[in-house]
Amino acid sequence: MSGRRTAFEIYWEILVFCRTPQSFTAIINRCDLNSKTGQEYLRFLVEKEYLVEVVEGDKTRYVATEKAGEYTALFSSLYRKLFDAPPRFKL
Amino acid sequence: MHESALARFRSEIRHFYVVTVANIVFAALVMAFGISVLVGEAVSMYETFSTALYVIYSPVVLFIALVAVLTGLRWILASIGVFEGIETIKDDLDGMGGEVPDEALTRLIVSMLAHYRDNRATVRTMILVCTLGGVCSFLLGILGSLEHLSVSTDGISFTINNYLVLPFMLLTLGVALVSLASSYYFSRFAKVWDERLGEIEGSEALLKETLELDRR
Repeated sequence: MSGRRTAFEIYWEILVFCRTPQSFTAIINRCDLNSKTGQEYLRFLVEKEYLVEVVEGDKTRYVATEKAGEYTALFSSLYRKLFDAPPRFKL
Repeated sequence: MHESALARFRSEIRHFYVVTVANIVFAALVMAFGISVLVGEAVSMYETFSTALYVIYSPVVLFIALVAVLTGLRWILASIGVFEGIETIKDDLDGMGGEVPDEALTRLIVSMLAHYRDNRATVRTMILVCTLGGVCSFLLGILGSLEHLSVSTDGISFTINNYLVLPFMLLTLGVALVSLASSYYFSRFAKVWDERLGEIEGSEALLKETLELDRR
């Protein structure tokens, strides 16, 4: 997914993608981020305990915690709510 | 809730896609129409360069034809940018069939919002360009159907070529109607999506609270 997204949209995408363990490269590729901003987003989510780092040999992977579920559920409900009402013009 | 949200999202995406495709087709038509008039006028000017009457008439047609060509080109370029993004979203949605999981729907909504944020200014330009394109093609149709036009201090006199009136009128009427309809739909979509962006901005406080950003 690319385009102009808010930080909240990027957080959601990272957390949903990291339901299964993912490497840093896979995350930045999937979320269309550069490494600098990718590191910032991941650091924030790890600090807030929405993600945990799992070390497997020499590889580090990121996995979403149970706490992340609260955020992703709220996010999804808010975005789907945008389509609760039809547009005020005839299609 | 999910079913109705999905049905509405699907319907909006399809309609927006159709309006965008119609725009590309008619933008190409306006441009082709302008080019054909430009070429015709250039040949006529060359052949009847010494006719004083034609010198009064041709600059108007040439100018409108030139505006139509440039408007058509600008219109196509603007439409293609919007079309590519909406086509990707529509293809993803169609590829999922009737069963779209909640998460996939949310992702598509986020994609659409991101695409709209990227193309907000372009959509606004398209609203204006659609109207201008319609007006240009309409004027070209009228001027193209004229056999003779004379402007003097006594007034304006003109002769209409009956054989040219009907095809020109039908074509220009079609283009003008599609342009106006596109302009209307783009402005309505833009309004609705602006409201949605506003709603999302309003909801960000809640997301921020959930993410504990305020306590950083």
